[in-house]
Amino acid sequence: MHDLSFVFAQSLSGLTAAMFLFLIASGLSRFFAVLRVLNFAHGTFYMLGAYSAYQIVSWLGSGPVNFWVAALGAALAIALLGGIVERFLFQRLYGKEELYQLLFTYALVLILGDVAKLIWGTQQKSVSRPPGLTGAVSVLGATIPSYNLLIILLGPAIALGFWFVLQRTRVGRFIRAAALDRETLGALGVNVNALYTGVFVLASFLGGLGGALITPMRAIVPGMDTDVIVEAFVVVVIGGLGSFWGTFLGALIYGQVLSFGILLFPRFSIFSIFALMATVLIVRPWGLLGRPLK
Amino acid sequence: MIRLLTLALAALLALPIAAEAQKPIKVGMPIPLSGPPALFGEPASKGAQMFVDELNAKGGVLGRKIELVIRDSKADANEAVRVARELILKENVDFLVGTLTSAEGPAVSVVAKENKIVFIAPIPKTDQLTAADKLHPYVFRVAATTTIEGRSAAEIVAKWPVTKVATIAFDYAYGQDVTKAFVEHIKKIKPSVEIVDQQWPKLGEQDYNPFINAQMAKKPEAIVSSIWGGFFVTYSKQAKALGAFDAIKYNFIGLGEAGSPETTKSMGADYPVGIWGNSYDAFYWDESSPLHRDYTARISKYLKEEYPSSWAIQGYIGMQFLAEAIKKAGSADTEKVAKALLGLTVDTPAGKLTIREKDHQANRGQLYGKTVKDPKYPFPIMKPVTYVDPTRFMD
Repeated sequence: MHDLSFVFAQSLSGLTAAMFLFLIASGLSRFFAVLRVLNFAHGTFYMLGAYSAYQIVSWLGSGPVNFWVAALGAALAIALLGGIVERFLFQRLYGKEELYQLLFTYALVLILGDVAKLIWGTQQKSVSRPPGLTGAVSVLGATIPSYNLLIILLGPAIALGFWFVLQRTRVGRFIRAAALDRETLGALGVNVNALYTGVFVLASFLGGLGGALITPMRAIVPGMDTDVIVEAFVVVVIGGLGSFWGTFLGALIYGQVLSFGILLFPRFSIFSIFALMATVLIVRPWGLLGRPLK
Repeated sequence: MIRLLTLALAALLALPIAAEAQKPIKVGMPIPLSGPPALFGEPASKGAQMFVDELNAKGGVLGRKIELVIRDSKADANEAVRVARELILKENVDFLVGTLTSAEGPAVSVVAKENKIVFIAPIPKTDQLTAADKLHPYVFRVAATTTIEGRSAAEIVAKWPVTKVATIAFDYAYGQDVTKAFVEHIKKIKPSVEIVDQQWPKLGEQDYNPFINAQMAKKPEAIVSSIWGGFFVTYSKQAKALGAFDAIKYNFIGLGEAGSPETTKSMGADYPVGIWGNSYDAFYWDESSPLHRDYTARISKYLKEEYPSSWAIQGYIGMQFLAEAIKKAGSADTEKVAKALLGLTVDTPAGKLTIREKDHQANRGQLYGKTVKDPKYPFPIMKPVTYVDPTRFMD
């Protein structure tokens, strides 16, 4: 069959994909848990994060830390954009039917997508790997690009930080409470509106960061938003909508199924993933680690 | 007095004819102007528009101006069909020049057949567009085909000192057809070649790592890719990081315009310099005709780009064939123009091209070359860049 180093390389490439998806899907999942709306515009925040990172890098030039400054700057810019969108637009839709909120996020996809095209045009853009991470390392006979290795480490770090905020801080408790019962939380005197703004900002930050970090590995093109939203959605469905560790598990499974699926069924790489999602939906409609909705 | 009256009468009689001559010839162009394919659709539509503007400035064709009506086809076959129908029924266009993807082309061809409207496809490559069972009197193509592209690649790879070849292509009409054409042709001209691996990511795949790992595990000596456009940027960034280009000593050919100035420009220093690529056009194609050099200067000014897009030329050539056919037919009548297109030879900026009578297909080849760094430009170029004329291997 295949030798061990190849199997190892394959699983690591699956892991890289998984950590990226986790970064993006965790924002999507948290947004759903609290606001009870599937945010179609999450992919658009990801795309804008990528374009912003490109913009900042082209302003700064290629210094040793410039890429990281750009990634953080882009994530903060998108978080700010998320905050503005929530405060001035989305907040008007609370208490209205959820369909309106869903349609609103879809309208954002179209509007922001066109804005991106006006600013950056239709030509593809590209960002270089940050200096020091351009090469590859050899681990157990497998070649792993250093940048991928960093992402593999960064994913769990962000996951743990996020988990810590949710479990151990006051704000985190409110966010979890809002996911369970927002009416009671409001009745207890918590400013639910401010909390919603916070979740919107956090989700936008994660989306923007994901977009910025992907730029050394992918081309930045119009339409990258809709590609990623489908993948993130699959991850969230497999793991369980709104479940934190479910999203993590969903991303891990997605990455490995993609990596090894192409060895078993070379022409049906995407089929394996959708087959898995369908199976999960039939057996456990609320996802692997999700809870059934009331 | 009588002479004056006769003159006035003659002038009056001539009026309707003059009015008829003034009426513009309308050409509809369904082409993607949104989403990733707008990358190619937009410049192609501008190339067509430049041709029309220049022609109209010189008085048009047969004394009539041409009016180009451009509509976004969204790179979707259903949308392209809807737009084409609307152009015919509402805008009353006389001709169709357009479509980009291999899904749109054949779909609009059916509309052209139903409505008896001449349709010239400037970009879709699928063989199915002009295959014997799909061909009808009104469809023509000035783009290369999957057969032309696949066989051109085989002619090049056959000269490399390699026998173990792998392929990677998107799993849909274009990727499958061009790969098949390559494999069949190379086995014919160099039987010692063995295809050691074939990868088929889905169209638009973003993560190629598993595909590249799996392919490199089969130890190929050369790779033929048809991952096109912006997708090639993503693919090659990931392949480069994995050391794939080094492992095959840059014996790599990127079809689907991986050598186009747009692609090398967007990647700059990250481009895997040393691989082979192709392109419909290149502003630096020095050995070309004066006609091409003149075109390059004009399109550069028109697009306001120092290094103009390589896709504009396809829209330009499409319109050029239509205008020449109208001139040859001496009329804008559909049947006459369709007949005039058969065997028509046009002196295009890409060289002399002829639409063959038997399959309505122009002998349009592409530029190929090994990419190198050139101090003259801030991005890699193909050098030497050669036009591969497909005439001898089209059948």
